[in-house]
Amino acid sequence: MSTSELTSTLRHLQSTPPPSPDQISSLLSKAKRQLLQLNALLPTASTSPQVLHLARATLETGALLSIRLQNPDAFTRYFQQLLPFYELPPSSYSPEGEGQRSKVTGLYLLLLLTKGDYAEFHTVLEGLETEFGGGKGKGLEEDKFIGYPVKLERWLMEGSYDRVWKAVGREGVPSEEFGVFSEVLIGTIRAEIASCSEKAYPSLPIPNAKNLLFLESEGGVVQFAQSRGWIVKDGRIWFPFQHGEEAPSGKETLVTSGQVIENTIGYARELETIV
Amino acid sequence: MPGEGRSLRSGKDTSSSTNGEKARSNSQSSSSKDKPVPTRAASSKTKAAAPARKGSKKESSNDKPQPNGQPIENGVNGADDVDMIDEEAETVKVPTGKNGEEEMTVVVPPPKGSKLSGEPGKDPEGDTAMGNVDKAEDGAQDVEQMDPKVKAVTDIKGNFQLLEKAVAQFDARFTLRVLRSISSIRKHLSPDLLAQVITETYGPTNAIAKTLLSTLGKEDVRFSDASASEMDVDQPSKDKNSKHGTSTKEILPEVDTYLSILVQIYLHDSRAVQAGAKFSSDLIGHLRTLNRRTLDALSAKVYFYYSLFYEQLAPVPPSPTASVVSIRPHLLAALRTAVLRKDQDTQATVTTLLLRNYLSTSHITQADLLISHSQFPPAASNNQIARYLYYLGRIRAIQLSYTEAHEHLTGATRKSPATPSAGGFYQAASKLLVVVELLMGDIPDRAIFRQPNLETAMEPYLNLVQAVRVGKMEGFLSVVQANNALFRKDGTYTLILRLRQNVIKTGIRMMSLSYAKISLRDICMKLDLGSEESAEYIVAKAIRDGVIEATLDHEGAFMKSKEAGDVYATGEPGEAFHERIRACLGLHDESVKAMRFPMNQHRLELKNAQEARERERELAKEIVEGEMDDEDGAGGDFEGM
Repeated sequence: MSTSELTSTLRHLQSTPPPSPDQISSLLSKAKRQLLQLNALLPTASTSPQVLHLARATLETGALLSIRLQNPDAFTRYFQQLLPFYELPPSSYSPEGEGQRSKVTGLYLLLLLTKGDYAEFHTVLEGLETEFGGGKGKGLEEDKFIGYPVKLERWLMEGSYDRVWKAVGREGVPSEEFGVFSEVLIGTIRAEIASCSEKAYPSLPIPNAKNLLFLESEGGVVQFAQSRGWIVKDGRIWFPFQHGEEAPSGKETLVTSGQVIENTIGYARELETIV
Repeated sequence: MPGEGRSLRSGKDTSSSTNGEKARSNSQSSSSKDKPVPTRAASSKTKAAAPARKGSKKESSNDKPQPNGQPIENGVNGADDVDMIDEEAETVKVPTGKNGEEEMTVVVPPPKGSKLSGEPGKDPEGDTAMGNVDKAEDGAQDVEQMDPKVKAVTDIKGNFQLLEKAVAQFDARFTLRVLRSISSIRKHLSPDLLAQVITETYGPTNAIAKTLLSTLGKEDVRFSDASASEMDVDQPSKDKNSKHGTSTKEILPEVDTYLSILVQIYLHDSRAVQAGAKFSSDLIGHLRTLNRRTLDALSAKVYFYYSLFYEQLAPVPPSPTASVVSIRPHLLAALRTAVLRKDQDTQATVTTLLLRNYLSTSHITQADLLISHSQFPPAASNNQIARYLYYLGRIRAIQLSYTEAHEHLTGATRKSPATPSAGGFYQAASKLLVVVELLMGDIPDRAIFRQPNLETAMEPYLNLVQAVRVGKMEGFLSVVQANNALFRKDGTYTLILRLRQNVIKTGIRMMSLSYAKISLRDICMKLDLGSEESAEYIVAKAIRDGVIEATLDHEGAFMKSKEAGDVYATGEPGEAFHERIRACLGLHDESVKAMRFPMNQHRLELKNAQEARERERELAKEIVEGEMDDEDGAGGDFEGM
């Protein structure tokens, strides 16, 4: 089994214009089969640098293409397979180089972000931090691909949604694969802003709401308001939830007194065991 | 004092699981170490009183039963384990006491008698241990004149006997005592000294001896005749020689391992990392072929140094190709074997080593998987539990489960040994704890930073806390910038970067408290937020998250703080009160659990109660009879009337 077949499959995959989705998936499974025949699906000590390089390139292409096909599960699988390759030092490849590591990793981080898996996000980030931070100081945030999800996460956490909005726009994304997630992210921030607005404003004029929610038209605002159960009246949006909160209902008092009674009985029981 | 600080803090949440564990481990270890307790108590007593009563044996004999009066607190100290410095002094003396014994048994019989009277009914080896210690004060005179090297040699040899005893009686605490004495011997270790011990212990044909010597670079050392000891002091008596005679024939693997550990330590101290790593690997391979329970504590130590060597071997950890990665399979195999053999010492040590290994290369997912797939032995020594909790806290902090992380780290700081030699661990755990507390939105107690052994190390963190507390973005950023390298070194950098949003929140809260109405523009300028739109979103988010009570006016572009309601009208005080009551009740429960009762005491009480009941019954009977008598009497009188 030579590497030439795989090389040709790979070239086929990377060709411009890209092949159709059906072709891609059949080509990808072919490439994987060829990798398996080369025994290069996992790096071993005996794998030659050329094959390593080829295997990594194949998996990276697979990862990027599955993003384009909007198949996050396949992407995650490719990423997991790439991890052992990324653990190897750049010098063990021929030709040497880091490959598309930061791009793929950045995409993975972004995927985690859109899924809301912050724990995993930070876990991956921590690993990168120690690796990057060890030698070159501030490498992580300056990396175009990895810095992007890192910044997005920070803005999302502190609430600078306008910056997120700008970042996910056409010119904000570092490469076109990242744009795939924009739609999801916009949905996320819109929902966030809506839930914040409900609490923060008593009412809001519709044109302002349009700007705040990054919606295209006022009709869209009305639609969005209805979907969230807001009242639209006299050109303003009224948020209904706030008023319900202000007067503590009788039910709430009941709950509180129930709590107090429960606690007190608990103390009594404990005291009994002590005395 | 760290101890005080910790006890103060411990009032906060006594119901946490770590506390439960602590209580359990304390009672467990103390029950298993019930026997050494009197010994230790006696020894510290003797040590303290040694100068005062060097000459008067009488006094010491009177003194004897006293140490048994306070076993409990000593038991707790003693349970603390292996490298505690404060016990070092005692262990140094034990073997020397032995030297003294050979003379003293002949010269001064009284102490022997007194010791026997002081400890009736104890098993014989507990007695001999007592005896050794008794004479420590007499042996001390010899020690003063002795060359430290010679003393180290005798110490090592004395430890051989302890190891033999441990094997013969299948008692792990002798081994522990041997390990504890390592820190005192450590200072005097040298190839010459070790070669001397090896040549005196082994026969010239022994393979293990040859490996040990070649590792030390002393292949050419002449094997001395076993009986002709080179020691210049006249203490080797006939007893010693006869011991030598037997030991040359059959040397226990424990002794081999003990000597190997000493060689490892020597190599480590002399920075011979390469040689040490190779030697340790071979040693591990050898150890794996042995299956002896008496070897557990020793092999745990071997693994510890094994991993330590590889950690220092280039390429060093942060890089993914670090040499620590290569020992993972060995450690995992060791863990598996240890679990199958119920070897809890090795299991605990190897688990913490693996976690450390994973974390050093930031393989957090693997570390997390290891934790979820393995069980940490609850009977592990306190130090190992502390380490485990620290790593656990670290992992949880990275995964954003701050509450859990906080719990584990509090446990780690509380369990960390209070000796100066373990100060580094306490510092690291405290640093992480402070950061996690900040992330949780709490401001750490000022007292944490005032502890003398933390003061300098924690200074950057103090600055950080101050910056977060005030809510000034520039202050925070400048602190992070200034201490960038240090935070990275401590491994807290990414966690600290996450604090950014906390700083903003605090800033907004401060502003909401101080102004009834403030324009978004001012907020944006004060907090350095970039744009007014950002400020609006951020404030809206703060309102949603319940950080502040306020409303926004979009058209006027200002934030209007709500009137602060009366806190006492809400359920909050009640909740705070409830929290404290629960903590107190938890403390009470823990204390009850930690209490220990003398064996069979309850039977005595039962008996007493039964007797009392019987007495009562008799009394009742008598009364009844008396009444009847009375009645009879009365009747009789009546009749008689």
